[in-house]
Amino acid sequence: MTGSSVAKQLVDAIIANLPEPAPGLRPVHTMGVGVDGYFMASDVARNYCIAEHFRGHRVEVSVRFSNGFGGPKQHDGWSDVRGMATRFHLQGGVKDGPATDLIATTLGEFFARNVEDFFEFTKIARQHPVQRESPWRKILDMLQLKEPVRDPYPKETTNTDAGALSYANRYRFAQLAVFEAAQIGAPVSYTRATYHAIHTFMVEDPHGVRRPVRFSWQPVAGVRTTDPTATPVDKYLRHELEERLRRWPARFMLMMTIGEAGDALDDPTKPWSARRVRVVMGTLTLTNLAKDQVADGERISFNPWRLVPGIEPSGDPILHARRCAYEVSREMRGGCPFIRSQADAK
Amino acid sequence: MPSDESWLDRFVSGLPETRVFQRLASWLLVPYWAWRTPVKPLPGGPHPSIQPGDNIQCMMNLIMPLKDKSPIGRAKAALAIAQNKDAIYAGLDNVGTVHFARFVIVGDNICMFSVYDGDFTNYIRDFIATIGGVFNAVVKLVEGGDAVTPCEHNVEAFIQWVHERDLYQVPDTATDLLRDQEALNGDKASFGHDDLRLLPRKVVLQLRANANVSLGSGYRAYPGFSAAQVRNQLGIGW
Ligand code: HEM
Repeated sequence: MTGSSVAKQLVDAIIANLPEPAPGLRPVHTMGVGVDGYFMASDVARNYCIAEHFRGHRVEVSVRFSNGFGGPKQHDGWSDVRGMATRFHLQGGVKDGPATDLIATTLGEFFARNVEDFFEFTKIARQHPVQRESPWRKILDMLQLKEPVRDPYPKETTNTDAGALSYANRYRFAQLAVFEAAQIGAPVSYTRATYHAIHTFMVEDPHGVRRPVRFSWQPVAGVRTTDPTATPVDKYLRHELEERLRRWPARFMLMMTIGEAGDALDDPTKPWSARRVRVVMGTLTLTNLAKDQVADGERISFNPWRLVPGIEPSGDPILHARRCAYEVSREMRGGCPFIRSQADAK
Repeated sequence: MPSDESWLDRFVSGLPETRVFQRLASWLLVPYWAWRTPVKPLPGGPHPSIQPGDNIQCMMNLIMPLKDKSPIGRAKAALAIAQNKDAIYAGLDNVGTVHFARFVIVGDNICMFSVYDGDFTNYIRDFIATIGGVFNAVVKLVEGGDAVTPCEHNVEAFIQWVHERDLYQVPDTATDLLRDQEALNGDKASFGHDDLRLLPRKVVLQLRANANVSLGSGYRAYPGFSAAQVRNQLGIGW
């Protein structure tokens, strides 16, 4: 496990690279919205995993959708990774009771294999002043058949794009995540994107068989992004969600991909082949925005290690680093403490 | 989009969509960069893998130019398939590794697209044994086909001939195309002095070297299961 001093350094490295300070708020995925809903496991889920929320009864959930950027400014329409953190309330569904979390983003893989990579990334991918590329430079790029540099958005004065690119140019393992993040765009709705939990977890079935798996949420409404050539709108995602849920619940399918011997278990930069067995584990139904956004949108604090019997972390060093980093961040911003799950209590 | 855009910015940003630029790119820029930074065509067929999931539901995508490039030539190809329907089903049921196979005529090409389980060479070998006659009927209508028919007497040459016509399968993730090119060039480094912004050029040049490719590894509703497993689960025997 990664110690708390490293965790503090991780969080400090993130804070040091914020475009502007965000005291009392999350240093990344700062702007978000809490949503209520429930999860129903599929008929087959319990054959693969003994965890309580896969037994088939209705499980109340709290979800927090977020924009990936750190900082107090909201830019829904900018191209950015989005987050979907889900808390399954167990044993009767009491909020603040025993629970398990599943934290996912619209990016399918990470850009760092371990803590050392992460620190180097944060050193290279620093906030840097940005301006529109000159027309002549653009023509030169076109003549070289090069990917154009994105024009800055209105009011965008700095970003980490150039640093992330130079990191990826140096380290091939980071290229997929950096390339995909650059192309990711903005969803028309938080409920119209696929979210990946990225890391490998080990799940245990009723016969004691343990399997390496990766989880993703697939939107029943389908995936759709905004028009990248239109002027981005800063605030629409929360209102869109509220209006959508007023009319009709929104659903996601929880898909679980089963890894094979030879698949990367401990490396979040490596995606698995699309040819692995995918199991439908259940359906999440989102019903309404949480009434208390301070409690369910801000103070609520997720942790990828809030697990239950039946699901264990893999050896992925990034997953291990996140355990304490999220606690440090939570303490710094006065979020809700990490309530120990049954697994922890053991 | 942003408000500080000048007319020159707008003009330049719109350039790639103009006819003039597209002509310039295809007549001058692409040939120039193909000469300056040559790329080798990436080999066709599934990526080699020892993992079981990668060795079931494999794709074969053949595009074979017909000798007779006329409606009559195309009709002959259509007839060769229609006349052999029974033989094709008999082969399919006996070999038991094919999820589906389709023949399609596109322009003056006959195409065969199939999804099969197991090793490519075994797949072709099994079909030569069971429906070699159908292969002969089709391949003799195709440019270069005479050299490898009858396939029963040219087994290895036939397999190689098919492999050479099997399309390159562009990986699902964009940057894996770079990894394929590095592997072909013997570059195994995990660190480099790359320029990720050159990915578009690399794709263009690969598609110049390899005009026909298969996009992605295929999208499957039930990945990881063989044709035999599916039939078995459905209780319809094999
Ligand atoms: C070493 C790697 C990472 C570090 C240091 C890190 C750090 C953090 C921190 C400090 C927070 C704020 C936590 C809080 O205050 O409650 C956070 C939030 C978040 N992170 Fe990470 N993270 C890492 C990797 C990842 C990965 C791989 C994912 C993808 C699944 C991810 C997805 C998220 C999401 C979705 C949130 C927002 C959760 C919420 O809505 O409360 N992070 N991260």
